[in-house]
Amino acid sequence: MSHLGELLSAHLDGELSPAERRRVAEHLEDCDRCREELDELASARSAVRSLPMVEVPASVLGLPDEVVVPLPRRKSFWAGAAAAAAAVFIVVASILAPDGTALTPQDLSDPFGARVSLDPGFTPTKVAQVRVATGDFAE
Amino acid sequence: MVETASDITWEDVARVYGRKIYNFAYRLTGNPDDAHDLVQEVLLRVRRGLPSYRPGSFEGWLWRITRNAFLDDVRRRKRRPTTALPDELDRTGLVSSPAPDEVLASIRLGEDVQKALLDLPYEFREAVVLCDIVGLSYDEIARAVEAPIGTVRSRIHRGRRMLRERLG
Ligand SMILES: [Zn+2]
Repeated sequence: MSHLGELLSAHLDGELSPAERRRVAEHLEDCDRCREELDELASARSAVRSLPMVEVPASVLGLPDEVVVPLPRRKSFWAGAAAAAAAVFIVVASILAPDGTALTPQDLSDPFGARVSLDPGFTPTKVAQVRVATGDFAE
Repeated sequence: MVETASDITWEDVARVYGRKIYNFAYRLTGNPDDAHDLVQEVLLRVRRGLPSYRPGSFEGWLWRITRNAFLDDVRRRKRRPTTALPDELDRTGLVSSPAPDEVLASIRLGEDVQKALLDLPYEFREAVVLCDIVGLSYDEIARAVEAPIGTVRSRIHRGRRMLRERLG
């Protein structure tokens, strides 16, 4: 019986057919080599997924500052639009309470926490900083 | 649901997808200036293309436009993608100054992954970025890159294996 190969990546991504899922589950029970490869693929996959999302100045998008949306990676278009509405609300909230929340060691030890923390939030400080950055791009 | 072209404006696309388009280009090239140019070019093409958009896979449509704009840009520049340096990261507004050491360490960790990505042949890098940065399904990636879904699956898998070798 052949090893699982690319079925392993598709398995991590939830992209298998029901028949393939059964085959993968059965094979993994008895095959150390495929289990090891699965771990390696999972670590490569999460390394890429842990890269911070880089913020884009709203002016680069031709939009006013307050409407840039931090979009989760798997959302439908309208779920994203709902996030847009929420984001506008957050901007208002953060202007009312500009407390400049700092990173904690816990944030940094958790890859997802670190990612979220690295995402420039909607604090007025960050917006001002972004405006400075767009000055560099202007010709 | 996106039913017709009139349901959606380019501003909606900019709001909802602008950041993802930027990060797609940034992770493919490692270069914030290229990503900046690309996101504007894509939004221009979206603006022109929306009137002829027909209901179907919106993600496939958008990312096909994005990918084609990216490849056109690469061909035009005839420039090899470069790796981001810390001062380039700074220009994106990602790094605040003074940044805590922990934040810088975390960015350096990301730099290794970014370098490893840039080492991959284009097709594999693109498949991995569309899957793991943009978050598309295999079907959406297949539509975006105009390749069979089996090809997409194979590229993602081989891309991850190559990354794993480079990251140790
Ligand atoms: Zn096996």
